[in-house]
Amino acid sequence: MNFRAIVLWVAVLVPLLWGVMKTLQNALKLFA
Amino acid sequence: MSSFLDREVTIAPAGFNRFLVPPAALAVHLSIGQAYAFSTFNLPLTKLIGITHSAPSDWKLTDVGWTFSIAIVLLGLSAAVFGRWVERVGPRKSMFVSALCFGGGFLVAAVGIHFHQIWLLYLGYGVLGGCGLGIGYISPVSTLIKWFPDRPGMATGMAIMGFGGGALIAAPLSLLLMEHFKTATSTGVLETFVTMGVIYFMYMMIGVIAVRVPAPDWKPAGWIASKRPQALVTNANVAVDMAWQTPQFWLLWGVLCMNVTAGIGVLGQASPMIQEIFSGRVTPSAAAGFVGLLSLFNMGGRFVWAATSDYIGRRNTYMIFFLLGILLYSAVPSLGHLQTTALFVAAFAVILSMYGGGFATIPAYLRDVFGTMQVGAIHGRLLTAWSVAGVLGPVLVNYIRQFQIDHGVPKAQAYSITMYIMCGLLLVGFLCNLAMRPVNERYHYGVPEPAT
Repeated sequence: MNFRAIVLWVAVLVPLLWGVMKTLQNALKLFA
Repeated sequence: MSSFLDREVTIAPAGFNRFLVPPAALAVHLSIGQAYAFSTFNLPLTKLIGITHSAPSDWKLTDVGWTFSIAIVLLGLSAAVFGRWVERVGPRKSMFVSALCFGGGFLVAAVGIHFHQIWLLYLGYGVLGGCGLGIGYISPVSTLIKWFPDRPGMATGMAIMGFGGGALIAAPLSLLLMEHFKTATSTGVLETFVTMGVIYFMYMMIGVIAVRVPAPDWKPAGWIASKRPQALVTNANVAVDMAWQTPQFWLLWGVLCMNVTAGIGVLGQASPMIQEIFSGRVTPSAAAGFVGLLSLFNMGGRFVWAATSDYIGRRNTYMIFFLLGILLYSAVPSLGHLQTTALFVAAFAVILSMYGGGFATIPAYLRDVFGTMQVGAIHGRLLTAWSVAGVLGPVLVNYIRQFQIDHGVPKAQAYSITMYIMCGLLLVGFLCNLAMRPVNERYHYGVPEPAT
């Protein structure tokens, strides 16, 4: 993996991880 | 004179890192996946005049609901119509056009919101945005298959996972932006549409700039195409116009349509369904969590199942979808009756993972059966199955439920018949998959047609 590939992967995965975190926060209410 | 967008300019130099291509595809799919979260705009769009409530001159929810339906129908149609063009011009130009359509669609819809003209909302988000969805969806598929001949399922699974994940970003982002722009005289939807149009255009441009196609003779270092004949995996190619004359195309159309119909109906009704089956035990807020959890499994299933199909084969993967799907759907009424929330949620999580997996595995299945030459265009035409399923699934679930309730069946049990009908649909899909055989050689590219 070169530097460009890492930057590109981070750029696309950070928003996705943010969305996953927000969704999991909501999903936890199901078992609260 | 060649432009930055031309296919020739995007041919990768020797030594290019192929792992730069999946994030380029993800940038596009994560953006257009926003479509799954359009419902976050439904209520605010019905309060544009009344602001805190729906005024008599405000748009009705049923009118607003058409926007998403138009977008999904246009997705299937544009993928089918523009598939060959996408193959010809390459991924960069098609991704750019997709970004223009999708981002521009938001802006045209914003003009519609400003002047309160619903036809502009339909034209902007529905028609223009829908074309952006269709072109964007198929743009990177054949490029990824060519970059990863050793792992085509994993590669396309990564991109199509983005389409499932797009809603996970878009739903909280839309709510955040609407909250930010909301004032005493505005719901904030207009400003949110403009902002999202610009953000998504720029985000998709990351994909446009980063994407490359491999040189025609390129192969992964050390990789040798298997000489051992594998069932349903061809080294030949079938042109798109020939492909849809084959029974295999229509069998796979049936496979995708049945798999999607079974999942999409449940996805649309997930929130009321869990609240009605577990009446008094699951709150609306917890039901929203259930929908989010299903979206997560829908997204994860796209990567996991498609990558698994590289090892166990596409046909076997769909066999698992259909057989396990039948088993789980038929167990749902009993799980509801037993009032075991955890098992009920787990069953639907697996079902939705297979729904997503069906979308993500189909490009590699098409590549196995029809070769790589025009797999993107063939995939585009196959996506018409999605358009049909998008109507069929929700109609089946909603109307059968209503019919049951109208005939005195308690709400908690109104889904049982639907689940058994879903089993029937999956059985049809199973039979289509079972009937799959290699394409007859007379359809292969370069093979002259026999004289009649």
